[in-house]
Amino acid sequence: MFITFALITLLGAIGMLLQKNVIVAGLCMVVAFFGVAGLFVLLANPVAAALQIIVYTGAIMVLVLFVIMMLNSHEEEKAQASHPVQKWVSLALVVAAAIGAVNLVVASPGLKALGIKGAEMPQAMTLQKVGTLLFADHVLGFEVAGLLLLAAMIGAVALTKRNL
Amino acid sequence: MDMLASLLHITPAVLWMVLKVVIVFGGVMSLAAIFTWVERRGSAMIQDRIGPNRAALFGKIRIIGLAQILADGIKMFFKEDLVPTDSNRNLFWLAPFLAFVPALLGFAVIPFGKSFSSGGATYHLSVLDPGNGMGMLYPLAIGGMAVYGVLVAAWSSNNKWSILGGMRASAAMVSYEIGMSLAVVSIFMTTGGYDPSEIISSQGGTFLGVLPNWNIFHQPLGFIVFFTCMFAETNRLPFDFAEGESEIVAGFNTEFGSMKFSLMALAEYSHMMTASALIATLYFGGWQVPFVQNPPVLLSVACFVLKLLFFAWVFVWIRWTLPRFRYDQLMALGWKRMLPLAMVNLVFHAWRMSQGH
Repeated sequence: MFITFALITLLGAIGMLLQKNVIVAGLCMVVAFFGVAGLFVLLANPVAAALQIIVYTGAIMVLVLFVIMMLNSHEEEKAQASHPVQKWVSLALVVAAAIGAVNLVVASPGLKALGIKGAEMPQAMTLQKVGTLLFADHVLGFEVAGLLLLAAMIGAVALTKRNL
Repeated sequence: MDMLASLLHITPAVLWMVLKVVIVFGGVMSLAAIFTWVERRGSAMIQDRIGPNRAALFGKIRIIGLAQILADGIKMFFKEDLVPTDSNRNLFWLAPFLAFVPALLGFAVIPFGKSFSSGGATYHLSVLDPGNGMGMLYPLAIGGMAVYGVLVAAWSSNNKWSILGGMRASAAMVSYEIGMSLAVVSIFMTTGGYDPSEIISSQGGTFLGVLPNWNIFHQPLGFIVFFTCMFAETNRLPFDFAEGESEIVAGFNTEFGSMKFSLMALAEYSHMMTASALIATLYFGGWQVPFVQNPPVLLSVACFVLKLLFFAWVFVWIRWTLPRFRYDQLMALGWKRMLPLAMVNLVFHAWRMSQGH
């Protein structure tokens, strides 16, 4: 199962990078999001999977595709001058990020717990638990995020409606 | 059940799952097909016409024109399958499936009858068993995916009418999703759970002694918002901006012919079935039979199907009664009426709960 969803995610992501057509690239990204949602389900977190689909594929990607269609740009434009340096720098960054991610996973306590027999299995996440976590343990972060989103919303309105 | 399973060399659980999938998806698909006929007969009834009643099996058996569905299917299969020259071929092929699959999938989580136990095992009458952790978030997520069918169909046909229809419909669907989600959230709140089976079991008994304890009597405002949003989500009149045949030919499916068009139409009707099931589950007690404490399983299934058929009929009824909204009216209704109403409903119920009701 993990291999299936990982492959779906990877193929979607690679397809998105390689596609010249912007709309098809967007749809490939939707495929990748679906793979990630499947991985969330495997991690016993169906709430995150549902939210991933609702927020990312159901709202954000639709709006992105909507804007692309509105501007009606079918093909990606070629860069005016290509610098080979960019390619190497990005490749190095990707490799560094990958090594860092693998190190993080290997060093995580969850992986060590897997080796111990009879260790407590993680419980599946429910919406109730998410609510308690948000409003009891992480209330400050929640409020800050809310404030940030409000500021962004006011900023967007102010930018588009100059003369209210 | 156990005997049949051992005959087929599978476990009873697997057999039950297969049966459920076949029953649910076969049922929804055939209901959707029947409703293409109900729609035509219903529109004829409302407009004082007769409607399709001529098609007959083998030229003899007429069953009030029900053979029309079969005739339409056969006709659609044998029509020439045209693809416009400047269309994006792959996406053009993919679009009907993108429209059809989400419309069917949303039904998976809805319990269509009371769970029963037999031989020491409990059988749940929904494809995804209760306690799967997704609960009502699942139909919301899948409902959000329905936009892609319209968008991809519109864009891939490379036709200006199609793209107009697709843009209008996707903007409408995304805007109405917010009001819908807020209405559903207040149901989660008062129920204290988000699993459809919890929502249904909380609606048993009576309210004030005379009414069934359905959510519609507790949250009439939420029901109005959810009901309206369902019309926008299914792209049915008065909000059928995807098609709008008097304005933009046939909107997003202008270029679709033969079985592709048929799939698009079936997707619309399947979506209608899922929407009716959601309305019945959230606001009308799902499989709960009014004034019956512990209904027998078959009665509960019959009650659910009756509710579903009633709401599907309401969809048809409204389509042939109300004219189409103007686009700006639709947006104003969504953002300036439905969203504030949903918020008022949410805050009111939060306040009531904080008062200990």
